[in-house]
Amino acid sequence: MMATLSPFLDALRPPAFHRTWNKREPAKVVAKRAADLPDMTALPIRALMPDLPQTIWSEDALLGPTNLDEVRRQAQAKAQALDWSKIEAGRMVNLIANPHGLQLCGEAYVTMLEVIAEHVRETRGAKVRLRIAESMGHIENPDWVKIYRLEERFGDVEECPQMGAGTKVDTKLGDMYVTKKLFDAPYFIHTHVTEMREGYLHRMLDRLMKPFGMAYARLESRSAYHFGFGPRTGQIVSRCIFESDYIQDRYVATMVLDTTSEGVVSVEADNDLKALDRRLAGGIMRNYGMAMKILGEIEDCVVVFDDHGCGVYCYAGGIAFDNMLCADVDFMDLDNLSLLAAERHDSADPGLTMGKNNAIKGIVINYMAGGVPQPFLWDNYPIHVVGDTVNRWMLNDPSNYHFDRAKAPVWSTLDDAVTAACRDGGTKNVIVFDRTPGAFRVSRALGEHLLSRAPKVREMVETVYLPKWLRQRGLAL
Amino acid sequence: MPKTVRMVAQIIAEKCTGCRLCEQVCPTVAIGMRPRREDEAGKGRNIAILAPEACYNAQACVEICPDDAIEMVELDTPFDVGFDLPPVDEDAVKALCRKAGYGRNMQICVCTDTKAGEIANAIIGGAHSPEAVSLATGARTGCVELCMQPILHLLACAGHGDAPRNPKNGFQWYGQSATLWQHVQPDGSLPDAIRNAFPEFPLDKEFGDMAKLKRRS
Repeated sequence: MMATLSPFLDALRPPAFHRTWNKREPAKVVAKRAADLPDMTALPIRALMPDLPQTIWSEDALLGPTNLDEVRRQAQAKAQALDWSKIEAGRMVNLIANPHGLQLCGEAYVTMLEVIAEHVRETRGAKVRLRIAESMGHIENPDWVKIYRLEERFGDVEECPQMGAGTKVDTKLGDMYVTKKLFDAPYFIHTHVTEMREGYLHRMLDRLMKPFGMAYARLESRSAYHFGFGPRTGQIVSRCIFESDYIQDRYVATMVLDTTSEGVVSVEADNDLKALDRRLAGGIMRNYGMAMKILGEIEDCVVVFDDHGCGVYCYAGGIAFDNMLCADVDFMDLDNLSLLAAERHDSADPGLTMGKNNAIKGIVINYMAGGVPQPFLWDNYPIHVVGDTVNRWMLNDPSNYHFDRAKAPVWSTLDDAVTAACRDGGTKNVIVFDRTPGAFRVSRALGEHLLSRAPKVREMVETVYLPKWLRQRGLAL
Repeated sequence: MPKTVRMVAQIIAEKCTGCRLCEQVCPTVAIGMRPRREDEAGKGRNIAILAPEACYNAQACVEICPDDAIEMVELDTPFDVGFDLPPVDEDAVKALCRKAGYGRNMQICVCTDTKAGEIANAIIGGAHSPEAVSLATGARTGCVELCMQPILHLLACAGHGDAPRNPKNGFQWYGQSATLWQHVQPDGSLPDAIRNAFPEFPLDKEFGDMAKLKRRS
């Protein structure tokens, strides 16, 4: 008699915690990872979407190859195919990286950066320095420069926070501002990863340009992105800055890691960023669509944060929690104005970006970073915290002064916190955002529920959502 | 809404090189410089000095410091800021918010939950620069990514768009960043040049809703 193969990957572990830039050591504070709660399992995204493309690099061997050979080979091939002739010998090139690439793709992202730097030095005789565009929450990020030995590997490395000195850029809409140190060389190279983060903001319009309106932009223009445009047009900031003469004079090429929930599926590059964006956009929506939409099938649950992200940027199954927060909204639908209520200029109760997902019955903070305001969590959901140290970190976060409004009980153990949250919320379902790639960390019954819903959701994504998303953007797969 | 300050910065004198970066980013101008005494260890002629009562736990100084010379310390006695906004003419507050295109209760600084009406109140009450607004309300002392533009815009609408920098070479803020709003014409439409510049974006739909809102205001 054949044994029935379980779709669950119980052996899949969450990534370890790192020491943070501001010297916090969550690994010494967090006594128990949520993965070790009773009855937890890992539901592979591939079990929900069997035709997910195969990876060339994954963080965990259970998901795919972990060696970097194919990433390096593809990056080298792409580098050879790009036109670098703009770069004159002996001059300086800023190779611009972002922390999301380091967080999600780790050594694969660093390998891509190394290939670019080596190629440009060797073929153009230019000098290359690494510039990391830092965003909100930088000081609580893992210390990526040390973790990946970036100074040793790249030499001149600098993290460039968004509040650093700026440069005014003349754009089609008027003055905008970028971080000076990212563009203070005759040339720069743009790098990215294609993961689905902040889809409610970029709406998959110019997705690969987004850092020009966010991570590369100064506070003034990042703020205008949020407050000076409508719910589907903030990305015009990214387009305006990218197309400005100042940026175009310096821009050389883009190389990205194309990703799915499981890891890297290919290295892609082009001198024409807009062409690259349109080439990849359909695949991004296809590859993440299932993971995004299945979260809308959760009827009741407790969410556990157990990751380096700042609340909405904690990850599960390769996607950020913001996808779950908006899971009852089709924010990829460009006809959907639901977010207008969140950002319209005369709203008395804007909630800034997000509404409330009524399926979330409570949130447990085992660990999360600060740095990004999350009032829509503290005001809308029962919050539970594990341990006095994590509670103190939350209360002291300059971006979450509201946290005390949550009046969160502080529990001495994770088990107690989850038990209380489930009891109060009337649910037994738990989903954990612990940055495990390729799978949702869920209580087993919730995993089985999602598995049972997967065929219907898959059909909806393939026959309804994806065709609509593509049609609205004039895209094909 | 007021903010409770639970931590303040502390300068580590022997690590400080007096580079002034912390002074240039502090949103409440809580940091200045003093000469390094001969008996003090460390490099540089100057050492940063903190006015703790003006430190609102923004941590911008920690982030910008290249020498790891600033750390945040918890206060035994936290203090509140932003409670005592000056009494001003309510109609003037409404008028300034209306001119800026913001509802009075619109959340401007999400980190501190400061509303447009509170910012307007502070401006009308004498806070004529972003730093003064921050000191009065507590706003702009968190991530700053969300509130910067609306605060600059409200100041400009009140006639204070040309506030001097403090310090002179500070970069706590530059100017207002361009928005779509500023291009709305009196008839509620967008110029053709802008429409034609972004054909992939749903400007017609987007702008239709925005125009309705603007007409309402």
